[in-house]
Amino acid sequence: MRVTLHNLSKTFNGRRAPVKALAPISLEIASGEFVSFIGPSGCGKSTLLRLIADQLLPTTGAIWLDGQSPTVRRAEKAIGWMAQNPALLPWATVRDNIRLPLQVNRRHNRPAPLPDTLLTLTGLAEFADAYPGTLSGGMQQRVALARTLATGARLWLMDEPFAALDELTRETLTDEVLRLWKEVGATVLWVTHNITEAVRLSRRLVVLSARPGAIRALIPVPLPYPRDATSADVVALERAVREVLHA
Amino acid sequence: MSTDELPQAPAGKSPVAWDLVSVAAILGLALGLWEIVVRLRDIPVYLLPAPSLILQTLAARAEDFGLAAAVTLTQALLGLLAGLAAGIAIAILITYWTGIARGVLALAILVKATPMVAIAPLLTIWFGFGPLPKVIITALITFFPVLINVYTGLLAADEAILAVLHSLNASRWEVFRYARWPSAWPYLFAALKVVAPLSLVGAVVAEWAGASAGLGRSMWLAYSNLNMPALFAAIFCLAVMGIALYGVVTLAEQRTLFWRDTRERKEDL
Repeated sequence: MRVTLHNLSKTFNGRRAPVKALAPISLEIASGEFVSFIGPSGCGKSTLLRLIADQLLPTTGAIWLDGQSPTVRRAEKAIGWMAQNPALLPWATVRDNIRLPLQVNRRHNRPAPLPDTLLTLTGLAEFADAYPGTLSGGMQQRVALARTLATGARLWLMDEPFAALDELTRETLTDEVLRLWKEVGATVLWVTHNITEAVRLSRRLVVLSARPGAIRALIPVPLPYPRDATSADVVALERAVREVLHA
Repeated sequence: MSTDELPQAPAGKSPVAWDLVSVAAILGLALGLWEIVVRLRDIPVYLLPAPSLILQTLAARAEDFGLAAAVTLTQALLGLLAGLAAGIAIAILITYWTGIARGVLALAILVKATPMVAIAPLLTIWFGFGPLPKVIITALITFFPVLINVYTGLLAADEAILAVLHSLNASRWEVFRYARWPSAWPYLFAALKVVAPLSLVGAVVAEWAGASAGLGRSMWLAYSNLNMPALFAAIFCLAVMGIALYGVVTLAEQRTLFWRDTRERKEDL
């Protein structure tokens, strides 16, 4: 799904004065692209993602998702949303959690991998009947990932989905996301504050400035997958990103 | 068994069996103490009868008390059911129709603050000596905790889960069914634990104000005749039913909210 941001900005009504979270941003993201948004805390990268997810309304500017507004795309269940909190239903089994997107807003069910296929695809087959409370944080995020895939959405908005996990689990899961992204061919907008992760994953990096977030630099990552975090190319790019962030 | 293990219930006994043993032991101790004090100090029967005498009275008039208990229990459960239904229905109503929430809650507090002892005779005048006034009083007493708890539970649905449902453009009904209603269950059970034993109090208070049957009537008759063993026998029946109701609710809670236990267990580790 093609993502077009045109002069997009967001200002919140603060308690004393308005808070500018996002300066006007214009950006074009191609269908099937994997783009990471990186920047200091509070730079508005989550706000940006929530605007695209139709959780917030922009103060100025517009968002087009394949030529339609986020409101229309959300109504069509065409946006996959995933955040740091796995947000699973604790009273439902893993399988039922993954089936949730098929249970609600059924009118807009679209072709998507079946829940049982997703269980296998995300390595959850043996936990199908387990309850989320019995799973580790990493496994819970796997379930959330499978649930996002179950929507069949071609746009994945991922707001630091693995930030709360340990380094090792995080690496395994990001590799999994990469694999699934290639299989599905979805457009991924990935918010993170982890530079290595951003370089390893994305085709393009969007570096944002401190609040109000504005685009500091667009850095293409023309490296083949899989990318070794310790390879010279990746390290050089990381350094470049750091320089932009600290400039 | 090695000495560095944590203290545990005796081997071979399930935790439930151990609970029963400890409850029986503590209750037995309390009753034993009561018996000893009454006997040693020679307390007259019209002030405080000994537990042994109460049990004798119960055994001698088992059928009377059984029948009275059945009447009271039926009225209490009917009232509880009505209070539960009303509490849940109003909680759902004000969750979705936020404009009237404050007004409805003010009215509910008004009902809550009215002493039921004062209303009970009025209801008896209106509806007679039958079960209806008892059911109404019990419903009025039980609905408030249910309303407040379920309302809190419906509003306490996890924001992150609501965000996921929003991203799927779930309808209000779907948000209710998949997030708000299950979120309210732990709160509902918290209310039930208070309200189930309370329903017996409601029924008895109403019976006290005039009834043709029930434990409240038995108590009133015994009180009028200063028949303390009979009065205490009725109280004993009420206590047993209260404990039983509480036990049933606790058991139902464990069965229904098992998913919550697993979560807690993991956090303990």
